[in-house]
Amino acid sequence: MIPYNRENKTPLSSSAVKIIGLGGAGTNMLERIALDGTDSAELLALNTDLRTLEASISREKIQLGKNLTKGLGAGGDPELGHNAVIESENAVREAVRGRRIIFLCTGLGGGTGSGAAPIVTRVAREEGAFVVVFATMPFAFEGRRRREQAETALNELAVLANALVTFDNNRMGELVLAKQGVHEAFNAADKMICESIKAVIRLVARPGLINVGLDDLVTALRTTRSRCLFGSGIADGKDRAARALRNALASPLLDQGSLLHEAQSVLVHLCGGESLTLYEIELLMQQLQKHVPEKAHILFGAAIDPAMGDELSITLISALPEDALASAPRESLTRAGSDESPSLEPTQGFTEPEQPAATGPEPEPATPPAAPATSDNKDQRPFAEPNPADSGPADTSLPLLDPVPEAEGESEPEPKSSSGQKAGSGKLPVTQADDKPIKSTTAISVKPPASDAESHGDPQSSDQKPSPPRKTILPPRRKPAAKSDTSPEDDDLEIPGDEPPDDPAVTKDGGEEDEPDTPAPRLALNLKPDKSQSELTFESVPRGRFQGEDPNVVDGEDLDLPPFLRKKKS
Amino acid sequence: MAKTKIQVGLEIGTSKTCFIVGEVRPDTAVKILGIGSTRSVGVRKGEIYDYSLAASCVKDALAQAEDVSEVEIGSVFLSVTGAHIQGTNHRGTFRIPEGEETVTPEHIEEARNIARNPPMPEGNVQIHPILRHYMLDGLDQPSPPVGLFGTTIEADFHVIHGIANRIHNSIKLVREMPLEIDDVVFAPIAAAQMALDRTHRSQGALVIDIGAGTTDYALYLDGAIIASGCIPVGGEHVTNDIHLVTGLPFSKAEKLKIMEGNASPDPAHSVGKARLVDENGFAEVEVNRSILNEVIRQRLEETLRLINARLPEGAIRKLGAGVFLTGGTSQMRGFDSLAAETFGRSIFRPETSELSGSQASFRDPQFSTAIGLIRYAQIMEAEKSPPPGALRRLVGSFWPFSR
Repeated sequence: MIPYNRENKTPLSSSAVKIIGLGGAGTNMLERIALDGTDSAELLALNTDLRTLEASISREKIQLGKNLTKGLGAGGDPELGHNAVIESENAVREAVRGRRIIFLCTGLGGGTGSGAAPIVTRVAREEGAFVVVFATMPFAFEGRRRREQAETALNELAVLANALVTFDNNRMGELVLAKQGVHEAFNAADKMICESIKAVIRLVARPGLINVGLDDLVTALRTTRSRCLFGSGIADGKDRAARALRNALASPLLDQGSLLHEAQSVLVHLCGGESLTLYEIELLMQQLQKHVPEKAHILFGAAIDPAMGDELSITLISALPEDALASAPRESLTRAGSDESPSLEPTQGFTEPEQPAATGPEPEPATPPAAPATSDNKDQRPFAEPNPADSGPADTSLPLLDPVPEAEGESEPEPKSSSGQKAGSGKLPVTQADDKPIKSTTAISVKPPASDAESHGDPQSSDQKPSPPRKTILPPRRKPAAKSDTSPEDDDLEIPGDEPPDDPAVTKDGGEEDEPDTPAPRLALNLKPDKSQSELTFESVPRGRFQGEDPNVVDGEDLDLPPFLRKKKS
Repeated sequence: MAKTKIQVGLEIGTSKTCFIVGEVRPDTAVKILGIGSTRSVGVRKGEIYDYSLAASCVKDALAQAEDVSEVEIGSVFLSVTGAHIQGTNHRGTFRIPEGEETVTPEHIEEARNIARNPPMPEGNVQIHPILRHYMLDGLDQPSPPVGLFGTTIEADFHVIHGIANRIHNSIKLVREMPLEIDDVVFAPIAAAQMALDRTHRSQGALVIDIGAGTTDYALYLDGAIIASGCIPVGGEHVTNDIHLVTGLPFSKAEKLKIMEGNASPDPAHSVGKARLVDENGFAEVEVNRSILNEVIRQRLEETLRLINARLPEGAIRKLGAGVFLTGGTSQMRGFDSLAAETFGRSIFRPETSELSGSQASFRDPQFSTAIGLIRYAQIMEAEKSPPPGALRRLVGSFWPFSR
């Protein structure tokens, strides 16, 4: 037998990857990455603020806008950040030249991050690198304006970057306990991003048994204007496959796996020590199937890394159309991945007019972001091969508008009428502008579509495009909104076909909206605990053979009921 | 030549009523002459709730047993169980009066009486007062320290008691057969006679007899019983859980449980779907193994945890021999690995070697309690040989090692 060493199969050279931390938040992330140790990547810090930059431990540093800001920060002004990076563009270009993968870490909302990130991304793309952007979104309490700045930048990045992973600071609470210190919360967030970067590096750099490479990564993230869904989990010991998957799905970015239900293609990468068994892989994939639609394209990769020891790591990467995230990912029982493009309208209708509305009162900061956006798109077009359709219309206005030019006819009047109607409650749609799948926001976003229907009345049904998506999306939402609006009932009459299947599904899911569509047998499972939840009396719970007997209570638990159901409830 | 005696054990269980007829020789050999077993009706969670139905079952089983063994059954050892029965430990302390230096049998009897008559809930009756050990001035004495010098004599008893009316009703039911009752035995005590030998007991062993309606347990440490009790959960609950979760009818749930169920915590057994094929070849039932096994596992794991919670603190760690699983439900696949994970001790399925007779049945763990009754009878017999009759129980409790 001829021994053949598989190890040295196209390893990615260490200089091919560069991690850039941009702005204050980006530098922090970079620090965390440096501390956690990445063996095969260069680190580069970019900032306008000289003091923070000097404190950074990364080897390479570039001060942005030396003449413009004179070593001070961008002061929360994206325009300043934008100009600063333009000034230092050559230095940045020099730094990213020849790199195959660039990870750009930044915190959006501030001056440097929001203003400079699109430019840095563009420069990196122009230099031929594959750019993955990790961006954090500001806290809700940081105010609307920062949020808007972040959104603007994010929209630009979505078009420019090859992959975009957003991390919402509001979700930081899910990573740490409420009583833990704020530094731990930030640490956890940084760690999360660091993990993501490492996982992508691991995925791309290590040749595997079943290889996945950049091409697969691009496929997984191909959906244009997408948000990346990312989850990574490590576990060891017994049952490690299941636990690793659970950890991966627990990632706040995946929303307990519920967001995966919409995914069209999912990249799954397994990495384990030499003890990794085929059986484990099979088990894991089988469990994963529950979270992924059947039609989804699964790009599977596996690698053996002796350094993993007894551990097994799983990395899930997928992308969702941004709007799918925005338009109530939890309520999306009806469209398991069938109609992603038409469902753009509802969000579009609202995010779009708001920005003008927001720019109205405060002209200086908000209009400029629009301008760079258009210029970016122009510049970027040659490099954005995969999505010419997007960048085409992008010239006209904000990127948000682009992908649905055909819907503009309706989507523009809609919001106006709604805002006219809802003059008093005008704040609601504005705060809802963020397209994050946070519970509170989805709850708010319940209303606008209903009011759309109101304002539109019948014409809506005659519209060629937008009506089908509304049908599919509205029913689940209308449930909560129904109390105030009368129009939903009219809609019910219009689409009787869609309603019945939705209703049981919604009620079934009841308390926990986390798993929207489950296969038939599991639905039957869900049915029972929820029934018992709604009815409080003891006897009404189905008890099978022990029906009618005295409850067999030990330690406060009725032993006659299946623990399987009892545990699920609590 | 030692004389042999025929002993009969009767267990009125949740799923089956069975008589076991055994020929007992004083030299510990037991020969099973016959088994009469019928499906129980009117028994729930180990307790009789419909006496006329249960009586007819007993009658059937009795006829069968007499037929098979060709023995006319006159008296039986009856096992009882149920959540109302519990075991508690008590200590009786007697201070030896001034002027007397050595322990006399009267002193010991005094201490025993104190220990054996603890305060019990109203309406409860003792089933077994089991002597654990004596203590003389704080030092353990396995046998009665008669004649030794000391000031304080203590007797530790494990008293098993239950609600008097329910036990009396069971006795009445058997008496009306008509059959005499030699003794009433708490089921796990009987099962322990079958499962454990004296070495196991002194090393420390836990017997779990998981039947259809109840799970009985008895814990032995240092040769003496230290805890016993009954949890009203059994294999029937597993079936019921499957029924409730999957919506399958009972018969199919039961079949699925027996044919396909696996309680092992190892997910390797939970891959794919479990099918029950009809005689006609149609796939009549199809359930995800992951769900089926999870339902079973959670039920059994909870049961084991309930037992664990009732045992004295740290007792599990002292088990030298391990955990012995018997009872019909213990045949569930993967149950031993589940128990191993829950208790972290070695798991055994007891098999008695000193049995002979109709081979097929007595190896089945569902007969362990009934066979244990024969063993119990044998031990009682060995104890009481000098003064037979009504004094048996009193004398039996003098028996130096616990039963």
